[in-house]
Amino acid sequence: MALNRITYFYITIFAVVVGLMLALQFRTASSRDLSVPLDRAQELTIEKKQLEKDVNQLQEEATDLESKLEEAVKSHAGAAGALESELYKIKLYAGLLPVVGPGVEVGLDSTPGAGMRYGDHEGYIIKDEDLLKVLNDLRGAGSEAIAVNGQRILATSEVRLAGNHINVNLTRLSSPYKIIAIGNPGTLKSSLELKGGLVEYLSEQGALVSVETKEQIRVPAYDGPLRLEYARPAQK
Amino acid sequence: MWLGLWLTVIGITAGVLIGLNMPVVLPHAYAKYLSVAALAALDSVFGGLRAAMEEHFDNTIFITGFFSNALLAAGLAFIGERLGIDLYLAAVVAFGVRLFQNLAIIRRHLLKK
Repeated sequence: MALNRITYFYITIFAVVVGLMLALQFRTASSRDLSVPLDRAQELTIEKKQLEKDVNQLQEEATDLESKLEEAVKSHAGAAGALESELYKIKLYAGLLPVVGPGVEVGLDSTPGAGMRYGDHEGYIIKDEDLLKVLNDLRGAGSEAIAVNGQRILATSEVRLAGNHINVNLTRLSSPYKIIAIGNPGTLKSSLELKGGLVEYLSEQGALVSVETKEQIRVPAYDGPLRLEYARPAQK
Repeated sequence: MWLGLWLTVIGITAGVLIGLNMPVVLPHAYAKYLSVAALAALDSVFGGLRAAMEEHFDNTIFITGFFSNALLAAGLAFIGERLGIDLYLAAVVAFGVRLFQNLAIIRRHLLKK
């Protein structure tokens, strides 16, 4: 009977083990229904890996694009600076900015009473032609900025006689006229005072003409309105 | 004789109760192997019970049989999965048939008295 007892003892123990296995299996099988099936999990794992790869790629792309953006911002700032300096230069050329430099100051004064005599000469009234001649002469001598009585001479500036006055930039100017021009003072002065030149001619006519070189003169900017009503940029 | 059967039933019941209350859950990947191993183990237990009734029970044979059957069944399932053949079916059929045979013999022993 002793053998029998041991036998049944072992059988019982192994029966417990079997029961345990069954229960575990049962639980695993029943929990399988609740949770995701195995291949689904594998599928999702693969998908997750793919997505992680994608995320990494996109992050790299993002950093790449960010650096590109930074560069673009930098170059944009550079371009803006270049544009600004270009604009400044163009304004300078166009006469929209006041400029200073060495040059000459030409005084032109009428002598009142045409027909009256002043010493050797009759009275003389400065005409637009005289002014234009002086301006032309100054330009020819290489002046870079010219103003008449504070009116900057632009490419579109007119010099026109209007009664007793001369219109420049639609502003009435009257005698005496003071023309300031920036350029090589010597060249400008000698160009005007050439033998048989303008100064001589005008003095003979009876005008009071003076030419002074200046170390530093200031030519003001044009401050009137700018219009381009008909002109359009041409297509290249 | 009846005692042996009752002990077996009680043992299995106790095992099931313990297993149900254990916080361990096997990974799904091993569920297949455990299922055939459990079947083999069940067969071993009933085989042991039958041997005990026929009074030629051998402890060593019982224990080694228990483990080797369970391991062989699980191993078959594993190899079968690797090879793409449902080899675990062989274990299920073999142990299933033996289970019924053992139960029939046990029944006969019990009813003979």
